[in-house]
Amino acid sequence: MPVLRGFLWLLGFLLLGESVVVLGQIPVSGGVAGMLLMTAWLLQRGCLNPDIAAASQPLIQMLAMLIMPGVVGVFFIVDDFAGQWLAVGVALIAGTLLSVLTTFWLMCRFMPRNGDQDD
Amino acid sequence: MTETVIDLRDHLLASPLLAITVTLAAYLAGMRIFERLGRPGWCPAVLVAALLVATSLALLGISYDEYRQGAAWLMLLLGPATVALGIPLYQQRHHIQALWKPILLSLPPAAMLASLYSVALAWILGARPDVMASLAPKSVTAPIAIGITEQLGGSVALMMGGLLITGVMTTLTVGPLAAWLGIKDPRIIGFVLGVNGHAIGTVRAFELGSTAGAFASLGMSLTGILTALLLPLAWQLLGL
Repeated sequence: MPVLRGFLWLLGFLLLGESVVVLGQIPVSGGVAGMLLMTAWLLQRGCLNPDIAAASQPLIQMLAMLIMPGVVGVFFIVDDFAGQWLAVGVALIAGTLLSVLTTFWLMCRFMPRNGDQDD
Repeated sequence: MTETVIDLRDHLLASPLLAITVTLAAYLAGMRIFERLGRPGWCPAVLVAALLVATSLALLGISYDEYRQGAAWLMLLLGPATVALGIPLYQQRHHIQALWKPILLSLPPAAMLASLYSVALAWILGARPDVMASLAPKSVTAPIAIGITEQLGGSVALMMGGLLITGVMTTLTVGPLAAWLGIKDPRIIGFVLGVNGHAIGTVRAFELGSTAGAFASLGMSLTGILTALLLPLAWQLLGL
């Protein structure tokens, strides 16, 4: 039952995250808060509980399927955003080109040069 | 005869099982087609699968709203899956410890600009506020981006489309741009793929090698967290 025990841990941290977000009125989703709490807890403990690893690996692998209902929506919104598509296209294509260039520039500027390219 | 078929369809639609079955079947079939096509970089596997769902819905005469109500049960798992993203982040801690300085200096501006460029371009071209809210998390991994878009008042469907185009654009441009700039360091190339191209970029980075993949998943997680923390605040300050 390691997967079930691990899933219970994940749900526990998710509910904890939801509670922190609601009580603290923080504009972050409960999932992100739960993830940060989980990471902080693991860092503080210094070791990974095998139950949590057993539950999180399959969940992460099926992420693409879990987001699919949202992706399907893309085919049904063409009319909802009539007249907006030029702005959307330019923002996505030019915006991504600019941000890729900026990230390259920033990383080259700050990354220390060393030779441990182990691939 | 047709009446019985319609009755059966209504009966099956009353529970989320049909929507979940369609999603699962389309996902597995989509992955298969994607492999058969030779894993094309310009067409993410999830888009092939989504196209199959849309086609099935049209053939079965199911509206998107009916489908979404059922599939919402599947998306409920996104909550624990988002929490689970903390585990790979924890496993990357030695990279963060070794390179915290370049990461701290380059990641926050890179993640913020990835969002700002597209919002600014959309604003200049007269986009509606809900369109800008849907474009803002375009470089964030989908489970986190869904939460951000809902908070900003954007459309999840439009955001998903933006996410796919951004991921594809990133994987297509990073290689040629790296060659043009003379960059060969797999840490930098991986990081750029993860920060800008979220999960789609990270998959591409793992094809380039394990170092590039590790840095891509690190860049993806940190961009997601940082954007989730800062974007809603920035939105409030801008009064959008």
